[in-house]
Amino acid sequence: MIIVAIITILILLSITAWRSDKYFVHGPKFIALFAIVFSLFLFVMYLLQANLDYTSLSIVFEHVWIRAFNIKIQFGLDNLSILMVILTLFLASIAIVISWREIIHRQGFYYFNLLCATAGIIGVFTATDLFLFFVFWEVMLLPITALIAIWGHEHRFFAAIKFFIFTQISSLCMLVAIISMALVHQAHTGTLSFLYSDWLIIDLSANTTYFMMLGFFIAFAVKLPSVPFHSWLPDAHTQAPTGGSVLLAGILLKTGAYGLIRFVIELFPSESIQFAPYAITLGVISILYGAKMAFAQSDCKRLIAFSSVSHMGFVMMALFAFTANAFNGAIMTMVAHGLSSAALFSVAGIIYHRIHTRELTKMGNLGVNAPWMAAMSLIFVAAAFGLPGLANFIGEFYSLVGVFALYPVHAIVASIGMVGSAVYGMKLFQNMFHGTTSNQTSIQIKDLSLSEGIICVVLVMLLVILGIYPQVLFQYHFQGGI
Amino acid sequence: MSTTQWILLTPQLLIATGVFCSLLLIAWQRSQQLIAWFTLMSFVVTIIATVSLLEHPSHQITVLMYIDNFSLFAFLWILFAGIAALYMGKLYLRKQIEVHDEFYLLLQLTILGAGVLVASDHFASLFLGFELLSLSLVGLAGYFRQQRYAVEAGFKYLILSASASSFMLLGIAFLYSQTGSLSFSSHVVGAAQNVIAQLGFLMIITGIGFKLSLVPFHFWTPDVYYGSSTPVTFMLATISKSAMFIALAKCIYAEPFQVIVTQRDVLTALSILAILSMIIGNCLALRQRHVKRILAYASIAHMGYLLIVLLLHNQQSIAFAKQAVLFYLLAYIIANVAIFGVISLTEQEQKCTESFELSHWTGLFWQSPIRACVVIFAVLSFAGIPLTAGFIGKFYLMSLATNNQLWGLLSALIIGSGIALGYYLPIIFQLFATLPDSRSLLTTWRTKMWLSVVLLISIGLGVFPNLIIERL
Repeated sequence: MIIVAIITILILLSITAWRSDKYFVHGPKFIALFAIVFSLFLFVMYLLQANLDYTSLSIVFEHVWIRAFNIKIQFGLDNLSILMVILTLFLASIAIVISWREIIHRQGFYYFNLLCATAGIIGVFTATDLFLFFVFWEVMLLPITALIAIWGHEHRFFAAIKFFIFTQISSLCMLVAIISMALVHQAHTGTLSFLYSDWLIIDLSANTTYFMMLGFFIAFAVKLPSVPFHSWLPDAHTQAPTGGSVLLAGILLKTGAYGLIRFVIELFPSESIQFAPYAITLGVISILYGAKMAFAQSDCKRLIAFSSVSHMGFVMMALFAFTANAFNGAIMTMVAHGLSSAALFSVAGIIYHRIHTRELTKMGNLGVNAPWMAAMSLIFVAAAFGLPGLANFIGEFYSLVGVFALYPVHAIVASIGMVGSAVYGMKLFQNMFHGTTSNQTSIQIKDLSLSEGIICVVLVMLLVILGIYPQVLFQYHFQGGI
Repeated sequence: MSTTQWILLTPQLLIATGVFCSLLLIAWQRSQQLIAWFTLMSFVVTIIATVSLLEHPSHQITVLMYIDNFSLFAFLWILFAGIAALYMGKLYLRKQIEVHDEFYLLLQLTILGAGVLVASDHFASLFLGFELLSLSLVGLAGYFRQQRYAVEAGFKYLILSASASSFMLLGIAFLYSQTGSLSFSSHVVGAAQNVIAQLGFLMIITGIGFKLSLVPFHFWTPDVYYGSSTPVTFMLATISKSAMFIALAKCIYAEPFQVIVTQRDVLTALSILAILSMIIGNCLALRQRHVKRILAYASIAHMGYLLIVLLLHNQQSIAFAKQAVLFYLLAYIIANVAIFGVISLTEQEQKCTESFELSHWTGLFWQSPIRACVVIFAVLSFAGIPLTAGFIGKFYLMSLATNNQLWGLLSALIIGSGIALGYYLPIIFQLFATLPDSRSLLTTWRTKMWLSVVLLISIGLGVFPNLIIERL
């Protein structure tokens, strides 16, 4: 019930926000912020009250939707999806605050899309009927595409179309796999079923299961994104408005990782083990390639986007190692990357808002006028290259330890990626806040405003807490670890 | 013929009576309003009659026709499309000084032809319906003779129809020479292995393929779509294609033809047609700037997708496939009603009946959200995005293809859908672009009502498809 309530609240308030800008031009952002904070509050209250054990999926809502195909509206929660929903709502509120001054045109429709995207992503993290999951998976694309296409930068149309086509083609592969699974279920039991719980109990012994697993894998690998399906990401990130980038990097990529855990590893354990060497190799390639490409960028948003490819490579690598350590590392990396990349994109957005350029060559020496911004950015960059004491380090360390036990060569090669991340991280920081501009003048910019400062401080605190006391996360048992 | 059979034939008879009465009406009083309202009334009465027949057990009527729920539903969709075409035609003719009774008459004849097609169970009735439909549409395609491309469109369509008919006739003759029967359901042993019979069957498919504008018989489509006036283009896209497809499906799902279709060579030929239509149709649409041309190429691709339902290996899925055909066509018709309806409105409001382009829709969303939403939902439905009826239609096709292991067709469908986004999304982005200058839009309550109804239907069918599926 709680999930349905949250999704309904978000959608209703998104429509309210959209219509409210006729009467009060700043109304939408207040409504949007209220909607997100209120949903988060509701969700946390529900969890504290219910006091259930979420080590395995527990169904919180069920209703018939399309009787002809036996499709149900069913939502379930376990520790993983709870973590992801909280992260989603938290980062969505950050996306709203960061858009506070940036978005001036058509605010109503902007916040409508932001809230709809959030609702769709929450649906993805909690739907346990695969047809419903697929619907959310596709529908959440629409508002995000709209964010890119309407409020984006100069090449926004191209970026939006590329993003959409990549995801659509891969999703259709997943749809084929979903339909095949439902038909397999029909062959076994006589009825179609799209329920995750029903699929877990049928024994799969057909030779087609490997292909079904691949169908799911492709969809999630594109979202994650892993090399060779990553090329939509730099474009989409670069062209998106800051709020859109925060959503994309912070949450949308995590839906890919979540899907890998839930629908590839848990649903097809034996096929995943068979496929693991390839997946881990892809992960390692993504780590190195992402780091190398990030170093080669002169556009700061592109640089951060490629660093995301590198970080999500760790997640892919760790997930397919099938050890508890690696799995914990993957979860931690997902959360940490969500926070740190959202933070870096926020900083990039803050700077863009002040000097209207994303070119690293046109920046320089910003630290003189904006010491707070420089200090915060240094912490975020340090998080991104895995400084001990911050969350990313824990995630990457655990991942590498877990992978090393089984695939030592891969782990050793992947750790080179950590060196690479230090290189591009320092390049980013150096070019922005130190050195000089190309024409030897220092640019006058304002330091962080109050709301921007609050965002940065909150993110820093979270990164530090998770980095120093990772038990906060690890005390919960996440399914799919072994 | 018994009473039951007469009763089952009511819808077609009602339309025929309507045509007859329209002629009398024209002889008595020439008035645009009168004939339009009369046509509407005749359609509404026929819809009521069709709906009341739905639960009737199916029946063979003479040797020519076979009426079951499948054909009744198909006729129902066609009648709805007819009402939409009537509305668009009325919008279009509002500015004309002449009285255009003939337009409505031809529209009724088109519907009658479609009615004969969906009921046919015999090659004679198939041919009869085919010709009735084609000839009325030829008249309609060149109807507004003062327009620049009217004559060209009319002639192109006439030549195409003639060649399609001749292909079909030759095919029918081939089949008849081998089987000695023209009925769909008469069982003839040994025809399946017979090369001449297979060839004849493929010739018939070719004739119908012209009408469905499958690749490589599609060359006429963009020109005729672009040259005809919007209501006529809408009829070509929906009424003509749906009726032809239903007739083809009835033919192929009949037992003797199942034997022919499941022959490897025939199956390969049909698969190649489908795959070519999906890929080429979508690729050609990418380079277009005119909405009508885009829709023409998109319709090629859609008919290619739909061909999947005809290529079944296992006989159990035929009932499911019939459901799929009906649902897909309904989704397709609704999306077309939405998009052509808004095109008609825009043409009237901006006085660009001859030169409608995508740029006329620039920034429509910021000016009139409801119009834009209707277009957006239609386009998303064409693209097969969830929460639209088009997605459920695509879901049906994918289920059928997966169930019958048609992996090649499935890959083509996935790739085609991906390519299609390359021209669907720009249409949507155009609606969101910045407004060039303030245009005046007159929104009467009638327009508003019409748009809201279409929007509600398209969203409702996407979110609650069960309402329709349970009854099919």
